[in-house]
Amino acid sequence: MAGLPRRIIKETQRLMAEPVAGITAIPDEQNARYFHVVVAGPSQSPYEGGLFKLELFLPEEYPMSAPKVRFMTKIYHPNIDKLGRICLDILKDKWSPALQIRTVLLSIQALLSAPNPDDPLDNSVAEHWKTNEKSAIDQARQWTQLHARANNVNSH
Amino acid sequence: MSGDINRQLSHMSEASSVGSDGNSSEEMDEDIDHSYYEDTSDDLGLDCPSKTDDPEYFEYEPLQLIDAEKMLNEEIEALCTKLKVNPSMAKMLLLRHNWNKEEIIDNYQRNPTEYLIESHLASRHRHDNLMGHRPLCSVCCVEYSKDRFMGVACGHLFCRDCWDMHFQIQIQDGITTGIECMAKECPVLVTEDFVCEILSHPKLRDKYSKFSFNDLIKSHPNLRFCPGVDCSVIIKAKEPKAKKVECQSCKATFCFKCGIAYHAPTECDVIKRWLTKCEDDSETANYISAHTKDCPKCHVCIEKNGGCNHMQCPECKYDFCWMCLGDWKSHGSEYYECSRYKENPNIANESVHVQAREALKKYLFYYERWENHAKSLQLEETTTAKITTRTQEKVMNNQGTWIDWQYLLRAAGLLKKCRYTLQYTYPYAYYMEKGPRKILFEYQQAQLEAEVENLSWKVERAEITDRGVLENQMDVAEKRRLTLLKEFLDVQVL
Ligand SMILES: [Zn+2]
Ligand SMILES: [Zn+2]
Ligand SMILES: [Zn+2]
Ligand SMILES: [Zn+2]
Ligand SMILES: [Zn+2]
Ligand SMILES: [Zn+2]
Repeated sequence: MAGLPRRIIKETQRLMAEPVAGITAIPDEQNARYFHVVVAGPSQSPYEGGLFKLELFLPEEYPMSAPKVRFMTKIYHPNIDKLGRICLDILKDKWSPALQIRTVLLSIQALLSAPNPDDPLDNSVAEHWKTNEKSAIDQARQWTQLHARANNVNSH
Repeated sequence: MSGDINRQLSHMSEASSVGSDGNSSEEMDEDIDHSYYEDTSDDLGLDCPSKTDDPEYFEYEPLQLIDAEKMLNEEIEALCTKLKVNPSMAKMLLLRHNWNKEEIIDNYQRNPTEYLIESHLASRHRHDNLMGHRPLCSVCCVEYSKDRFMGVACGHLFCRDCWDMHFQIQIQDGITTGIECMAKECPVLVTEDFVCEILSHPKLRDKYSKFSFNDLIKSHPNLRFCPGVDCSVIIKAKEPKAKKVECQSCKATFCFKCGIAYHAPTECDVIKRWLTKCEDDSETANYISAHTKDCPKCHVCIEKNGGCNHMQCPECKYDFCWMCLGDWKSHGSEYYECSRYKENPNIANESVHVQAREALKKYLFYYERWENHAKSLQLEETTTAKITTRTQEKVMNNQGTWIDWQYLLRAAGLLKKCRYTLQYTYPYAYYMEKGPRKILFEYQQAQLEAEVENLSWKVERAEITDRGVLENQMDVAEKRRLTLLKEFLDVQVL
């Protein structure tokens, strides 16, 4: 990987040396800008017990532009849509070049702990969350069992 | 400050295009219009009766880019002198506070530090300390000598290359005056002088100055870009009001305040709500757009090819209303019920289901009328074109002179203006609360509606209508329009 910026090398080294609890992020063997990410569902959230696969890509302009992140595992969450796109301010207009891959991953983990139906990406899920939170959480739990069970992920 | 106003006023009186279009037929009665405008521009500043009488009167002038730039630069310089700040800073303050100079000066003089922090032009953060001989830039993780590090008012320091890259990415995204410091959660804005010092890419420099100029114009309450296609004119208004502007150079007409098609008597936010609703519900409303209907008496199929909603069946000669299919005789102005929606008085006690159906019925009632008048406007365009051709023929055949027939075109122009206002009364009425104001509005709307259709009927039969009768009808229709606007346009003053 000729020409990989110092910044990316440093961040990768640190991610490997001191990983974030509950998250693994491993650079692709072919492309050091592409990371295979697995986030464990936070305890006391409807995602507890699930392992969620994500892809994270550092565009050419990184860190001036935000990383591109997407859920690969199906998830029932008001801020994540069917295609796995994430509604998170720091991935859009609140991005700052001083933020890092680590900060992004932590924010995603926090989003799983605290869904925000008032700033939705998927309106039907958000509507469900707002009108009947208990039933929405049940649904999220079911989806976690159905799509994010540990053996599903590891088989990849 | 008073000197400023005088300067602006003298600017205005030099302009050629001051005033609302009291007459929609600009080209043909140029002489009359001209003297009218000259009269008013001579004594600007005084409230002469013609201004207060015309509810649509609006003072504005077109500016070329270069004039607008000059005007803004003068305002920026004045603030620089007053506050003893540099032009980049003054520009940012004006932009962030919508060019409200008095407020800026007041607040700045009360507490400059706090005001700059609040304006995102300073921060409580102390300057970064650069450690060691060759400190590390936290964005690119490369070590540089200290003189490569730069920062804005907050004192967060990054290497020059990182700033340059940051600006490039932001400008490519169309962000210029909103570029922030690179540090995490630091809202401090990067001013123009800093960008220009660092930005290396010449093309992006041009883009920066173009976009930031656009931001300046957009933040100025008295300026607006003409929304016309490929038009670079900037309209300068004396007051930022929801009034009609016609661009002299591209002929676009629009509302000064919001920039979309003029919409009196409906207010800017209400028309936006209405247009969004129409878009969302377009499928529900689709089925009503019929070009043909059956005569309510003899049931022969009739196609509507004129704008007038007073229909006469070609077979049985029955006069009826296209909108409600009622007898036209009952549409006399005393009695005109066609524009008024009769709500179910007991609706509050009905089931949710019935209420939903009623809501849809109400919307469709207003939508149908709104849509129908839009269609009539289109159809009446063809009538105008026909009149133009007929007039040409007549003049060629020595049946009177060009001047003799101008009243016909004037009638068509006035009809268009009245029907346009009538169309925009429907969204207004749809959102209106029940009560005496609504009763008055609906009464005046019905009066206007009746006279618009009478005028349309006569314009379609212009050649067999007596000139005096037609001109009288024009007068009546315009009076109804002005009465309604005087009562309801701009009553909730800014
Ligand atoms: Zn750097
Ligand atoms: Zn900063
Ligand atoms: Zn224009
Ligand atoms: Zn408007
Ligand atoms: Zn008939
Ligand atoms: Zn009718």
